[in-house]
Amino acid sequence: MRYPKPPALSESRRAFLRGIPVLTAAAAIPPAPAFAADGRHHWAMLVDARKCIGCQACTVSCIQENAVPEGSFRTVVSTYSVKLTDADQPAGTYMLPRLCNHCDAPPCVPVCPVGATFKREDGIVVVDGDRCVGCAYCVQACPYDARFINHETNKADKCTFCAHRVDAGLLPACVETCVGGARIFGDLNDPDGELRRRLDAAKADVKVLKPEQGTEPRVFYIGLDERFQGKVEGQGTLWQPRKRHG
Amino acid sequence: MNADIVETVNVAREIAWLPWAVQYFFLIGLSYGAFLVSLPGLVFRRAGWEGISRLALLAALVCGLTAPVALLADLHQPARFWHFYAYFTPTSWMSWGAFFIPVYLTGLILYAWLAYRPLLARHADEGGRLAGLARRIAYGGHESRNALVAAALLAFVGAALVALYTGVEVMLVRARPLWHTPLLPVQFFVTALAGGLGLTLLFNRGLPGGGEPGATRRMATALAATQFVALVVGGVWLALGLSGLSPTHAQALAEVAPSANWQVSAVWAVSATVVTLLLAWKRPASGLLIGLLALHSAWMMRWTIFIGGQEVPKTGAGYYSYQLPLGPEGLTGIVGTVGLWIFLFVVLTTLLPLDRLGKAGT
Repeated sequence: MRYPKPPALSESRRAFLRGIPVLTAAAAIPPAPAFAADGRHHWAMLVDARKCIGCQACTVSCIQENAVPEGSFRTVVSTYSVKLTDADQPAGTYMLPRLCNHCDAPPCVPVCPVGATFKREDGIVVVDGDRCVGCAYCVQACPYDARFINHETNKADKCTFCAHRVDAGLLPACVETCVGGARIFGDLNDPDGELRRRLDAAKADVKVLKPEQGTEPRVFYIGLDERFQGKVEGQGTLWQPRKRHG
Repeated sequence: MNADIVETVNVAREIAWLPWAVQYFFLIGLSYGAFLVSLPGLVFRRAGWEGISRLALLAALVCGLTAPVALLADLHQPARFWHFYAYFTPTSWMSWGAFFIPVYLTGLILYAWLAYRPLLARHADEGGRLAGLARRIAYGGHESRNALVAAALLAFVGAALVALYTGVEVMLVRARPLWHTPLLPVQFFVTALAGGLGLTLLFNRGLPGGGEPGATRRMATALAATQFVALVVGGVWLALGLSGLSPTHAQALAEVAPSANWQVSAVWAVSATVVTLLLAWKRPASGLLIGLLALHSAWMMRWTIFIGGQEVPKTGAGYYSYQLPLGPEGLTGIVGTVGLWIFLFVVLTTLLPLDRLGKAGT
């Protein structure tokens, strides 16, 4: 399949350039959430798996941006070696960037016993760290293994679409650093935005992870192989991040 | 397993509900199970059950007082437990649970106090250990039948709510097919009742002469019935999974069936249940052994469901591997709850010695 033609000037870049004065202003005044909770925006992400090169730049930038403790990850590029039958080479590599899906029907929200996790009006699912009791019920309820207990804060942790950056008019760190341009972040409510245009252009090729769970993810994928849409049937990885519990 | 796909890079999510959670579900299960065993003798005054029921009530009390400590410790922010009461969230069964536990424990403590008052007074009169304290707690040592029934009713409502919420809060986790089955609350309940009977059998065995044979036989019969029900429920689970009638059961089975660990666990669990059933049925006098087996099955079922269940990745291939840490988040936590249990058992049996409780009649 051919890739949709990229726009002349990336909306993402425009948003980034527009964001620079916001950032400098933010350094001078206390940051006020510019777009939060007004319901005008509905932030979402499109991951074009065909463009991911598995470099893990997103993984590293997320850790740097959000001070994610060693051994924990808010996003990662799951990488698989897949046997090929229709090519000369014996196997290919399949990359699948994973993160919180910021579902429109998030199963993590209703289970939280203290209302600490919630979906903002702009679609971003966040955890109120002042309220979270660290019961990890949300960790269990997430079908995407996107949540974990942060052992430095002892609270539930997850991708926030870099809400602090988005509120300042910036892109999430993973989008900013994506080498292959595989992550497109934007506003579903903006009909002229790059995200909407790409989604509309790809239409039938757009998929989400585990659609049968009814979670209505707002992280969409192009080039998502069905074998990787749910729990992957295959040989598990031997590598595990070093555990630093307690 | 599909040999064509090998996961080369992924994140292994660690266990988020720790062995503390296993201990909580185990102890609260034993507590409400034993509480139910206390009803025939103390509330319904069924002949031959008085001693059993008083012993069972002690088991319910010791386990019921220990369980919330384990639950609190499973929170990664235990000092924030008051958030449960400040930020009630009706969509969450865990939030409801925070209110059900005090209802149950209030009822249970009141019921136990009313049931044990005359015994405490007698203990004080006969100059038993801590006689002064026993006299003070006995507060006259009157028997108040109506109050006892009312307290038992409150505890029963609380026990039913606790049994319901502990099952449903896990059952609702759709993300884990192994948990997402309506049979899970039933399995929790049946094994809890069996565990409650098992612990009471152990207490009964601690009586001079190893307990009254009639009492042991009655409990063994009840235990055999629970094991039979457990096997039937397990059979229904397996049938649903194998036949594909229920997609969630089929998925759960497909997730765990290829694992050697899970195969061993399944064979072990079924064998233990069958052995308990046969012994309880054919050799009801083997009270100590079947009691220990029932406790073992109740604990193992919860360990397998919680720890084993969390070893199944939701998206990744294969399994996560869990090794029990030695610190508070692992072995020390388990030992700690056992230590607290023993402490409470010693304190309570100092005031209410087992032989006093286990005597037939009042």
